[in-house]
Amino acid sequence: MVKIIVIDNGGQWTHREWRVLKYLDVETKIIPNTTSFSEIEDADGAVLSGGAPRIGIETTLGNCSSYLEKASFPILGICAGHQYMARFFGGDAAPSKIPEFGKVELKIIKTGCPLLSNVSDRSIVWESHNDEITVLPDSFECYAESKDCKIQVIQHKDKPFFGLQFHPEVEHTEFGETIFKNFVSICETAKK
Amino acid sequence: MFKAEQFIKENVEHLKKTVKGKALIAFSGGVDSAVCAELVHKAIGNDLIAVHIDTGFMRKNESAQVKDLMKDLELNFKFIDASKQYFTKLKGVIDPEKKRKIIGNLFIELFEKVAKKEKIEYLVQGTIAPDWIESGDDLRDTIKSHHNVGGLPENMNLKLIEPLRDLYKDEVRILARALNMSVSERQPFPGPGLAIRIIGEATQERTEIVREACFIVEDEIEKASKNESMELPWQYFAVLLPVKSVGVHGDKRAYGDVIAIRAVQSIDAMTCMYSEIPNSVIDKISTRITNSLGEKINRVVYDVTHKPPGTVEWE
Repeated sequence: MVKIIVIDNGGQWTHREWRVLKYLDVETKIIPNTTSFSEIEDADGAVLSGGAPRIGIETTLGNCSSYLEKASFPILGICAGHQYMARFFGGDAAPSKIPEFGKVELKIIKTGCPLLSNVSDRSIVWESHNDEITVLPDSFECYAESKDCKIQVIQHKDKPFFGLQFHPEVEHTEFGETIFKNFVSICETAKK
Repeated sequence: MFKAEQFIKENVEHLKKTVKGKALIAFSGGVDSAVCAELVHKAIGNDLIAVHIDTGFMRKNESAQVKDLMKDLELNFKFIDASKQYFTKLKGVIDPEKKRKIIGNLFIELFEKVAKKEKIEYLVQGTIAPDWIESGDDLRDTIKSHHNVGGLPENMNLKLIEPLRDLYKDEVRILARALNMSVSERQPFPGPGLAIRIIGEATQERTEIVREACFIVEDEIEKASKNESMELPWQYFAVLLPVKSVGVHGDKRAYGDVIAIRAVQSIDAMTCMYSEIPNSVIDKISTRITNSLGEKINRVVYDVTHKPPGTVEWE
């Protein structure tokens, strides 16, 4: 069994991330983003939740920078966590020209991302964001987009770090559970 | 998957060990408080006292049904009619957060009074995850203050017990089914009741209007789902808007209020889609509301907002 920590950045759906992982029989707990890295060092993976902080405006997100700097286990950034990940690696985020709330169609534009394994080329996802990634860092590739937001799914070229602008943890995202299963497999493989 | 039997066993054992003395459960009659009462009742028997408060903002005949439910569950119970106090406290209050906090504070005040008299040490609440998530904390923004979280005073004398804190509604329903409870499929109803379905001041007169409109929406949708013309939504009700519009009644000008119909599909209340109600059903609801509420309501609209960006209730 792998242990995946949910880092709470103050999202409405942080607890849903915990629930989805628990349903997949993963050992999991929610910790505030003020926790030091040494306390989560033994994890097999981490989820950086979304939250109310405006990554397009503010520059910090609790201790998330230290997790991204020090972790060798896989990390999945969601919404604010995804935007912050891009910012940390030299990209940028800014207020969205057209923010997305609720039901949106996701289109996969590039194959090969293990997080999107068994996810249809076009599927329904749920969004809730005011900001988005505007500059993708050189170390990342983008795998999916929506009509109004081009950077929806990102993966680091060398590290097991992933980011999603939409919310796979909510019931109405069509392949949400599949994406979490994929992330759990990624953590299992990395542990071996 | 959620393991109901295990949850029941572990929680009843834990409650037996931790609750020493009498406890009071805030009993609205909904699935959360009823399941919670059943768990604590299994653990401490008649040391549990269920208290139902009629705020004046319950639905048509609801408080009477809740009384029957408490009897069915063989609970030691108290029934308090506090409607006058609620209407007085909400006089002139328009801000939805103020409404929610006033209602929550008065709940606790009334519970503390009972507790003092009966020498009760514990307050049991059927709080579930969305209640504390949406109420906000050090990390989280406040979307809306749920009465059972945002209404709690900082220095409460009662020790709080919330066995369902980490569960969502779908999981509570699984527990209710495992416990063979009649309330397992009851639609959610907010603690502040109809007060937050009246946008603007929740006066007695406006409460009667929205109570009747909610009854009509529930009745027509339940009939339609019974004869299979639609799927029963997760939650369905009416909201009274603080907007007037012009109409025509028997060749004369009418100028009345607007009712919005809200119906959503959800699993856990954290994301929702508005329900697709067949036009024939909308038609019945609209005609029945405008005919039975005559001079008061001359326009009915249907809310087609998902969550996000909307929430289920309007306040």
